[in-house]
Amino acid sequence: MTRESGETEQAGVQPPSTARVLAQLTRPVLRALPVRGLAATAAVALLIAALPRLLSDEPDQWSALIALRAAALTFALGLAFVLDDPARDLTSSVPTRRILRTTLRVALVAPFAAAWWTAAVLLIPSKIRPPVGDMTLEAAAAAVLSLAAAAAALRFTAEPEPGQRVAAGFLVIALVSPLALPNDWGMYVSPTEKQWGVGHDHWAMVLVGAVAVWAACGPEPVRRRRLIPT
Amino acid sequence: MSTVLTEAPAETSTAPAREPWSAIFALARFESRKLLLRIPVLFMLAAYVAWIVWRTKSGWYGYPALQDVDRATQTGPLLVGFAVLLCVNQAVLRSQRHDTERLFGVLVLEPWRRTAAHALSILPVTGLVVLGVAAQFGWQAVKSTAVGHGSVGELLVGPLCVLLCGAIGLLMARLVPKPFAIPVAAVLLLVFSVLAPASIGGGSATAWLTPIVGEGSTKTIPSELIGRPAVSHSLYLTGLALTLALLAVLISKGRTKTSTAVLAGSLAGAIALGVVGGVGQAAGVSSETVAARTVATLNPQKVQSCVRHGRSTYCAFPEWVPRTATWAEVTDHVQSLAGGTAQTRKLLVQQRVEARYGMEGDGAIEPSTTPNQVTVRTMWGGPRTPEFSAAVASVLVLGNEKAGGDVCDGRMVTIMWLALGWTSDPVTELRAVRLSDTVTGSSIVLSPTNGMTMTAGQTSVVRELLAAGPSTVTPKVKAHWAELTAPKVTTAKVAQLLGVKAPGGADKCE
Amino acid sequence: MTTTVSAAGLSLRYGLTTALDDVSLRLTEGVTGLLGPNGAGKTTLLRVLATAVPADEGTFTVLGHDPRTPAGRQETRRVLGYLPQTPGFHPDFSAFDFVDYVAILKELTDRTARHNEVRRVLAEVDLSDVRGKRIKKLSGGMRQRVALAAALVGDPGFLVLDEPTVGLDPEQRMRFRELIARAGEGRTVLLSTHQTEDVAMLCHRVVVMAAGRVRFDGTPAELTARAAGRVWSSSERDPNAKAGWRTGLGVFRNVGDPPPGAELVEPTLEDGYLLTLDGMHAEATA
Repeated sequence: MTRESGETEQAGVQPPSTARVLAQLTRPVLRALPVRGLAATAAVALLIAALPRLLSDEPDQWSALIALRAAALTFALGLAFVLDDPARDLTSSVPTRRILRTTLRVALVAPFAAAWWTAAVLLIPSKIRPPVGDMTLEAAAAAVLSLAAAAAALRFTAEPEPGQRVAAGFLVIALVSPLALPNDWGMYVSPTEKQWGVGHDHWAMVLVGAVAVWAACGPEPVRRRRLIPT
Repeated sequence: MSTVLTEAPAETSTAPAREPWSAIFALARFESRKLLLRIPVLFMLAAYVAWIVWRTKSGWYGYPALQDVDRATQTGPLLVGFAVLLCVNQAVLRSQRHDTERLFGVLVLEPWRRTAAHALSILPVTGLVVLGVAAQFGWQAVKSTAVGHGSVGELLVGPLCVLLCGAIGLLMARLVPKPFAIPVAAVLLLVFSVLAPASIGGGSATAWLTPIVGEGSTKTIPSELIGRPAVSHSLYLTGLALTLALLAVLISKGRTKTSTAVLAGSLAGAIALGVVGGVGQAAGVSSETVAARTVATLNPQKVQSCVRHGRSTYCAFPEWVPRTATWAEVTDHVQSLAGGTAQTRKLLVQQRVEARYGMEGDGAIEPSTTPNQVTVRTMWGGPRTPEFSAAVASVLVLGNEKAGGDVCDGRMVTIMWLALGWTSDPVTELRAVRLSDTVTGSSIVLSPTNGMTMTAGQTSVVRELLAAGPSTVTPKVKAHWAELTAPKVTTAKVAQLLGVKAPGGADKCE
Repeated sequence: MTTTVSAAGLSLRYGLTTALDDVSLRLTEGVTGLLGPNGAGKTTLLRVLATAVPADEGTFTVLGHDPRTPAGRQETRRVLGYLPQTPGFHPDFSAFDFVDYVAILKELTDRTARHNEVRRVLAEVDLSDVRGKRIKKLSGGMRQRVALAAALVGDPGFLVLDEPTVGLDPEQRMRFRELIARAGEGRTVLLSTHQTEDVAMLCHRVVVMAAGRVRFDGTPAELTARAAGRVWSSSERDPNAKAGWRTGLGVFRNVGDPPPGAELVEPTLEDGYLLTLDGMHAEATA
């Protein structure tokens, strides 16, 4: 194991392009993803989306809305596990940045998520389907919020697999927010109510905010920030 | 001296005696402390307390009927239940997650006893929910305005739901020991329990299989007519929660033959309990209750008690007799504004309810045609008070309740003045009593039976009268009582008699 | 010898606990041992030097790179190999897949060269035979060697090893020492350990930490020399000894301040280590 200095010395050699690293990482990251958990979550979420059909011959719009929202929530809960990395201690000091690694994970999940959402929407009979564009906004906001929460957990804790706690917290917030948020915000109204429009402005804000949190939690700081100066 | 010396070691040798059950209890104490300190549980307990305060402040306008308050305690504990579902599951899976299972797997306390301890650890948080339910119910029950009776069966549903949630979390941890399973299962359960009753329809035996059974109606009926199998349902929930928890213990490893036998026996007992409850709640409403509902709806006087307050008689279902004095105050206030014989007329205030469909559906109550009889319903406070006041006023002006539905002339102004003139904030009451929640334009005025119609012109006259106040208006009302209450008197004429600006246009009711 | 890694004034606090308190170090090529009791701040120092966590204060450079800027940290990480105390694994990966994965993360993008490099490091740690096996099927010692291979892949100039020999049986530990000694040829290796024999056998330098501070920095011989004249044997337990135990020969071996005329014996590195820590306690209570 004598180090043949010069031969494999990397300093001085132009570092390889990020694109090449990402391309080569695709396969191992795909394998490192909690695929079975995501698949199981997606399956249960589809079952939830199918509940209106299964429970009633003539499902109503209200049950379709509830089912679609719950399906989106369920899938978002599964996404909380996407950033779990049992080898985190080991990978914390590699040159490939964390934001690249996490973004790659999300990018690999995204086509699957899109296909899943299409299936979920199609499971709702077209007659009672809530506006697809607005519902997609809600689902996207929930999904990105869950990912942002997971990213924040990685950023602020040393936990390698924060998914479980993030999912629990996310679910608790999701259950309380319809009760706690003012009805005027319109985030949990039905399409027939007049707050639907303003509610989706709020959903868009949630989405933008979640993306911002995600981006803010991406970089690994070179300096520790202290809340309380000591 | 020597006795002391010989006794001392004997004491120390008995102290560390190992009892299989005490270890379970010790672990259960430890786990319950951990559970109570988990952030989701603390957060949801706080949310539950906030929910209790919000529900209690906003509900029943200060005049609660306890047979409604008991059911209103049921949904809030679900908040805590969901946190317990998640956290119990995560607590069971903790050793697997932190890879301590290899160590714990060989300790004296076998997996089944650890599962049993986790099951017991749900009890303290359930105890907190019992306190929450007691506080929520007690807060309304101590009010002097409260009527009726709560049901222990209904009150137990909330805490039992917390137990059930914990048992589901426990069983899930043993069946699918994966971290992602429980949040997903929680959403599935929640959606199913929300959607299933709506699809199945309330009141059927299948609907009672869900933990919390809501009702299609928000009205209040006498407690003995509700006919909800509350006690059976709480037995069913207890049996269900115990069955799931015991199943979780039973599928955990490390059981001895004796413990398996004991657990299997308990499981059989729990299933039996659940079945007894399930059969009981599926039985439907008893024929006695159905008969009593019919009597209460069609011949209420047979079951009511009548009380005299001043000139008038008040007949109410026994649970509401204490409230008759409150009704009498309103009647007296309205009569004090009236003129002629109306001031001293003897009224019969009769409480009526549509109870034939139980809590599943509402039904309108036909107005009474009997002269001087006023209908009062089971709810009170908020808009219900001016609604009753309007009914009293209409009977004083028109002679009977039925006539209120047809009145379209200036007498409507007098009716509304009598109904609202005595109140401290009449414009707010006017808004409350009108279906459209407005104080301008035309609208239906609600009353305990059929509504009455107010035109835009009448509304503006009434508002001017309310602005002028009783000291100016009452003498004029008493002086012109006969003209004001004459059939077909126009609104313009009434305005002129009472000294306010007359509206343009004739009286026209849509 | 030229300094390859140097640190000055590193401090780090977690809440009210001070994990690192003004730590300064200069490392050169070869294996440097890091000794210290539990909670001394060894792992924190290693995490800081491995750029896993930034320090609150202080500076350090690794092979000329300053990790206090994002770009500098990238350069630092390109020359780093880190074996954490509890390396996690993706249990479904094979040993080869896992090391290959880490190699890609270390930006080895030439596929053929990388696979050769992965095979090379797996051979170095004697895992060639099991490289296709899933990690969850490997024994604890083998997993530890997979983690060492992951640290070695890409031929880093600075190797940070956090208690790599914990939980290994004597034969495995022997083999690990061999691996680390070879890794130290032409490289800077910082080895945190509880095993004083590891340090005595492997290291040309030793650093002793306690309560977040550096208490000793020198050669193993110097650390051993601290106990010169302070180890003696006696037939009875000596109450004056800081530490004393009955050896297999039936006599007591005592460490501390010997009574006059005591039968002095040859000190070991461990004696020096114990006395260094003891001196610190005396300092703390004074």
